[in-house]
This record gives sequence, C-alpha cells and structure tokens, in this order.
Amino acid sequence: MSTGKVIVSAESVVMDYQTPTGIKHVLNDISFSLLEGEFASIVGPSGVGKTTLLRLLTGLMQPTSGTIRINGEVVTSPPPGLAVVLQDYTRSLMPWLTVEKNISLPLKRLGLSKTEIAETIELVLTEVGLRGNQKNYPWQLSGGMQQRVAIARAIAVRPQLLIMDEPFASVDAQTRFDLEDLVLKVRDDFKITTAMVTHDIDEAVYLSDKVVVLYGSPADVKEIVKVDLPYPRNQVASRGREEFAELRTKIYAQVRGLQ
Amino acid sequence: MIKKVSINAIQSLWLPISLVAAWWLFSTNSEDPFFPPLSVIWDQFVLLWVFDNVPIHVVPSLINLFSGFSIGVLIGLVGGVIIGTNQGLARYIEPSVDFIRSIPPVATVPIFIMIFGLNYEMRVAAIAFSAIFPTMLAVIQGMHSNNPTLLDTAKVFRLTPFQTLVRVRIPAAGPIIFSGIQVSLQVAFVVTIASELLGSGFGIGAFTLIATDTFMITDAWTGVILMGILGYLVNLVFNLVERRALRWYLASKKLS
Ligand SMILES: Nc1ncnc2c1ncn2[C@@H]1O[C@H](COP(=O)(O)OP(=O)(O)OP(=O)(O)O)[C@@H](O)[C@H]1O
Ligand SMILES: [Mg+2]
Repeated sequence: MSTGKVIVSAESVVMDYQTPTGIKHVLNDISFSLLEGEFASIVGPSGVGKTTLLRLLTGLMQPTSGTIRINGEVVTSPPPGLAVVLQDYTRSLMPWLTVEKNISLPLKRLGLSKTEIAETIELVLTEVGLRGNQKNYPWQLSGGMQQRVAIARAIAVRPQLLIMDEPFASVDAQTRFDLEDLVLKVRDDFKITTAMVTHDIDEAVYLSDKVVVLYGSPADVKEIVKVDLPYPRNQVASRGREEFAELRTKIYAQVRGLQ
Repeated sequence: MIKKVSINAIQSLWLPISLVAAWWLFSTNSEDPFFPPLSVIWDQFVLLWVFDNVPIHVVPSLINLFSGFSIGVLIGLVGGVIIGTNQGLARYIEPSVDFIRSIPPVATVPIFIMIFGLNYEMRVAAIAFSAIFPTMLAVIQGMHSNNPTLLDTAKVFRLTPFQTLVRVRIPAAGPIIFSGIQVSLQVAFVVTIASELLGSGFGIGAFTLIATDTFMITDAWTGVILMGILGYLVNLVFNLVERRALRWYLASKKLS
C-alpha cells in the first residue's frame, strides 16, 4: 500500500501543558513516522495524550520541544493538504449551513469554479452514500450520517493526509462497522495517508497498517505494531483470522500496561 | 395546524382581551376627568389616529426610531466584532463599555441636547447612542462563547480570517447577537419617546406631553395607547426578522 515516502514524522516530540497548578508533562519523547498511503492508529489508555499528539500533528498546537514534519516541512500551523474528522460532529459541522455549503466552505479557497465545486460535492456525497442530501441541514440527519458528511467534507479538499480523532466513538455499533468500511473504501479510492486516534483496539487492528501504542505518564511510544492483515479487509473474515486475535491480545496487554 | 394556531392565539390573547374588557367595563360610568371611559378614549383614538395625525406625529417618531436604531446597531455590530476578535483589546475596553452601559439611556438625552441643541440630530444621536451598547456587548459575548471545536475546524480547513468571521464566528453567535439587538430596539424605542418630550412639536411623545399639559386628558390617553400598539408592532416585526435569520437555530433546537 505504501510507496515508502515519508509523509508525517514526529521527532522526539515533548509536550508540557501549563496549568494553574504547575506544569503537566504529557508527552515524554514521541517519535514515529507515517509513509505515503499508510493507515496508522494511535491507541493508549484514556488521558495518555492521544488527542494532544493529534493536535500537534495538525499544527493546531506547537510541541514544547521536538518537531513534527509533514512532507519534510516543520509544521507550525495547519498545512495545506490536511483534512480532519473529529469525534464531535455536532460541533465540527456548521448547523447554519446546509450539507452542500458545509462541504463547499473549505473548497472556496482552492480556486475551483462553481461547477467544479458542485461536481466535487456530488462525488464525495456519492462516495459516502449520501447522494441527494445537498440541501439538508446537518441536524436533520442521524449521527452516523452527520459523520459521513464530515468525512465527505474532509475528502472533498483532496487531502494528502487525513487525521481523525475517535471519529466513530459517538455512533452505535452497526453504524460504526459501516463507517469503518467506508473509511477503508475512501482511503482506497482516494489514496489518502491516514492517522486515527481510537479507543477501540479491534478497530485499530482492523483498519491499520501500523498501530502506535502510547503508554505512561508522561507518555512514550510503547511499541509500533505492524499489522499485516491482507487486503481487501472484511469485517467477518479479517476479524476472524488468527493474526487478528494475536495482534489484538498483544496490543490490549500493552495498553493495560501488562506487557 | 389550524388547531395549533388557534391554541396559540388563545394562549397569547386571553389576558390582553380580558384586561381591555375589564377596563371598558369599570370605566363606563367614570366621571373622573383623569380616567375617562375607555369608550370615549376609543372614539377619540379613531378620530385622531385613523389616520389624520399619523403623518405629523407617528411618521416622525418612526423615522427617528429607525434611523437611530440602525446607526446604533451598526456601530454596535462593528465595534463588537472588533473588540470580540481581539482578546487583548477587550480587556482594555470592556470595563468602560460596562460603565457607560449602566447609565440609564434616558438620562443621556440632556447631554445630547447640550451638544446638538433641540433638533432632529439630537434625537437620532441619543437613540443611536442608546442602541449601541446592548448589541455591542452581545456581539462580544457571542464571539467569546464560540465553540473551540468549531474554531479548530475553521483553522484546519484553512479558512481565511474573513471567512472564519462571516461564515463561522458571527453565525455561531447569531442567537446571542439577536437577543442583544432586541434589547437595543427596546431601549431605542424608549429613548425615541423620551427625546420628544423636550422641545418638539412633533412625534407621539410630544403629542402626549402637550395633551397632558393642556389638560386634554382623553387625547393623552390615546397617545399612551398608540405608543403601546407601536411598541408591540415594532417588536413583532423584529421577531419575524429574527425567526427568519435564525431558522436553522430554532429548527435544530426543536429536533434535539
Ligand atoms: N489544554 C490543556 N491544559 C492542560 N492539560 C491538558 C490540556 N489538554 C489535555 N490536558 C491533559 O493532558 C493529558 C492528555 O490529554 P489528552 O486529551 O491528550 O488525552 P487522550 O489520550 O486523548 O484522552 P482520552 O482517551 O480520554 O480522549 C490529560 O491528563 C489531560 O488532562
Ligand atoms: Mg482524546
């Protein structure tokens, strides 16, 4: 799946928060890299610093020391070619804009014509299975559908890199499976390098080429687990494989600090 | 649908209708010169206001109200956006704004008379001044309460500062901003009437004051009733505009 070109690299990233009660040392020394086309999950116990790491990757925050590079350039603010999907779709979609306006908002800057924008919207909505919902408002849609809109908006900018923070944490189990498969399909169709934070270790194994396990306070990279499950992946067959069970047991133990 | 409308009508109309009916009933045989029978006031109302005196008294008041209110709200919006988007600036300016705002708006009228004299400019300036602050403070508060996730989303998708302001921050603050504008409107109405009480021959405020001073008590009562009706109608128009602009907000609240 990968060409071997490094898209994202974190080099000895340290993050401290200034709090009223003093400095909170959250990330100790984080290094990893993400190759073009790869899908990486970031897992770890609650509060370990996953969201923190993700915000650093997007350029919304600067690390205390160390560097994040995207395409070899040090990230100091959100770079072009990046798209995000957040857990809280009710707050990341604009309720005063229709689905189509939500998607076109970031497109305006890319210098596309009106027809190109309309075509892009049609294309991405079809991709996520929401064709014909252009004129609906987000709050008229179910949670799973809203997250599909967020995914459609993300891929509409033709990102090189997609970053997601627990994108499926607020939807029911069946919708979650559907959205996981949607992400696999999108990634295949659009060849997007992806980094995703998740609580769900099964999900991390199912979707990823590598799983970055964070552990400790302050957090270190405990291990980077390669996932060699064959493509195309399938909810029943892939999850039924022996390697799947082995990987999930191993990662589970690491997240629990048992290994 | 029709049923719902009629229930709404009953809910909102029963009290005013009962009060008017009671007033009508208890005042029928009134001999008190200060409280003439409502039937007499009503006849006089129709005589005066349908529609003979509307051009000389109602139109000037409404023009003053509309000009002053528009200018004040515009200044409030622009000022609010400038202060609301500059955290640093807000800290220097907000205390002064809070101070000025706590002066009762009507009390500033004499100051405007000193500056402008007894004229049209004075009235509009006083109305505009009073309308600035409720809107401005609402805009500042609305911008400060913008959801961080929304702002992060705008940043990651690299919206321009202008897009972020116009497409994200201001609409997100819309419900708060509108309630501020509504207060501006109410204050502006009060100051419109108050500003006519001094040195003016035109306007409903002036009409009512002159009527009182010359013991035309029934005329004064019609003026009071007219003010009530106008205030109500102005608010009604505002609510229609608000409901249209915040349709997304009202509908999304209804669903959740
Ligand atoms: N802005 C902040 N200021 C101070 N401390 C913070 C801030 N944001 C996060 N923290 C702290 O940093 C630590 C890591 O937080 P973070 O949100 O990155 O964890 P997480 O792994 O995403 O947790 P979860 O699994 O619950 O989402 C937590 O202890 C949190 O309290
Ligand atoms: Mg988190």
